[in-house]
Amino acid sequence: MTAITGRIRSVTAPVRAAFARVPRGVYSALGLAAAAIFPLLNVWGVVETAWLRVGVLSLLFVMLSLGLNIVMGETGLLNLGYIAFFAFGAYTTALLSSPKFELRWPFLAVVALSTVIAMIAGFVIGLPTLRLRGDYLAIVTLAFGEIVRLTIINLQDFTNGPNGITGIYPPRLASEGAIASLGDAAWAKWLTVDKPIEYYYLVLVCVVVVAILLSNLKNSRVGRAWNALREDELAAVSTGITAARAKMLSVVLSAGIAGFAGALYAYYSNVISPESFLFMQSVIVVCMVVLGGMGSIPGVILGAIVLQALPQMIREAAGAARSEFEVYRMLIFGVIIVVMVIFRPEGLLPDKLWRSESHEVDPRELEKTRQSLFDLEEGEKDLEV
Amino acid sequence: MASEQLKPLLEFRGVETYYGRIQILKGVDYRVNPGEIVCLLGGNASGKSTTMKTILGIVKPAKGEVLWEGEVINGLRTAERIKRGVATVPENRRLFPHLTVLENLEMGAYTRSDAAGVAEDLERVYGFFPKLAERRKQRAGTLSGGEQQMVAFGRALMSRPKLICMDEPSMGLSPALVDQNFDLIQQVNEQGVAVFVVEQNATAALSIADRGYVLQGGRVVIDGTAAELLENPELKRAYLGA
Repeated sequence: MTAITGRIRSVTAPVRAAFARVPRGVYSALGLAAAAIFPLLNVWGVVETAWLRVGVLSLLFVMLSLGLNIVMGETGLLNLGYIAFFAFGAYTTALLSSPKFELRWPFLAVVALSTVIAMIAGFVIGLPTLRLRGDYLAIVTLAFGEIVRLTIINLQDFTNGPNGITGIYPPRLASEGAIASLGDAAWAKWLTVDKPIEYYYLVLVCVVVVAILLSNLKNSRVGRAWNALREDELAAVSTGITAARAKMLSVVLSAGIAGFAGALYAYYSNVISPESFLFMQSVIVVCMVVLGGMGSIPGVILGAIVLQALPQMIREAAGAARSEFEVYRMLIFGVIIVVMVIFRPEGLLPDKLWRSESHEVDPRELEKTRQSLFDLEEGEKDLEV
Repeated sequence: MASEQLKPLLEFRGVETYYGRIQILKGVDYRVNPGEIVCLLGGNASGKSTTMKTILGIVKPAKGEVLWEGEVINGLRTAERIKRGVATVPENRRLFPHLTVLENLEMGAYTRSDAAGVAEDLERVYGFFPKLAERRKQRAGTLSGGEQQMVAFGRALMSRPKLICMDEPSMGLSPALVDQNFDLIQQVNEQGVAVFVVEQNATAALSIADRGYVLQGGRVVIDGTAAELLENPELKRAYLGA
């Protein structure tokens, strides 16, 4: 097996070297341009509107994956109940902007409050669980996700239980009066977001903002502290990182991003019910992060798009065999993850740190290691200062 | 000795610690004066590593006092202690293996916010260990044992410490490197940094130390100058193999 991958590697080496010379910013710019142009394909009649909806959902999952990546990829904490924070955001939005309580708060206030509520939920669940590690943390977060879902089902007065909340108002980016005063200006209708293309651009802007924020954070002191904690907690603490505080920050921030995504999801889907927040959804987001590459922002974005859009494409292609495909969807997910873990554990577009963690020896480091072993034998010279 | 009159840098007064209900340290007293090398000897489960953790504030004493420059610091957080001048070279070095040498060194300066001072200290560390300058872009995990030891030292120096605590620095090093490792400790010490070193290798540790303590079952059973300890009949029998 390794012989085969070795041969493939040697054949593709020049190609990969050529790609490696292209600065990373170029790829980000190309990706962003593609994402911005995509809805125009619909305007020009190349793709159906259904694909715009796939696009919006993909972007929402990109945001979720980016959020989960903070705890899973950067800090190294497994969270199997992540979708609960998404639910907190979605329900906050649904309650503040629907006929349920006859409220229609301004968009920005709703999104901000949804984010904050999810962050508070993150803080509350973080307090008792952050002393746990590995398997135990996974079990407790899984339980947390289920508790939230069951609470939503049973808290009927608030959430309408299994029926969910319907008729969520579309977001207005300016006050009603301001929009009316603009009259028939062509762009004024964009201020009331109610068409798929408008949702698409709204969510895209939010995703870009989150991605920029996170990539700056990744290269900051905070990001370095997260990575250090993941690599060796005791050593990290010994250099003066306050482990509890840094971990809590990552949990709260990731919960906040999920809440933000939840708010946008509630607006977009118009109806929310507990069925959107099943354990399986948490698992899918975990898969997106693993597939794309833990700790890698471009990787996680790619992973989310692939796992969200691919099933839709297959479903379209399957045509008559549509229901057949639904049955096998999770099976295909499972196969993809198994194949990834065996052949490319670092993900599709790996973070450089994770690549070295998931392969015992990076081929490029091998020569340096040999050199070091040589030095070790030459112990006398080794400690010359 | 002149150091007797100085205010101790670090002092333990009757410190007791517990893990749950199990008592580890049963009332220990240590003193480390500025610029001194003090070694702590003891077998397994004698409380050496717990002593280290108590100095760093990872373990808090249930009884007694830990003093830093005459001030009680029992409740002070690790980050605060590092800011005040405690640094550590943990057991087995505990580098961040996938970070580069430079990134590891930068982690040592995590609690500092003076970028200019950090850059200066980085140059100082590179001056001290030219090999690290050569390998600054290399992953720490791919270095030889001796080089990793340098990184661990360098990382500790990056917080500009007054005291470096070393937990079993010669563990995992080849015998040839052990001696050179102790030379390194002396060189660091000559820069005016006090060193508190926990060791099983009693002969080597006492050969560079000013004073030493012997810990057994959570209590200090022998203490004195290095010369006294080397002559102590009990210690000779137990550790020095004579």
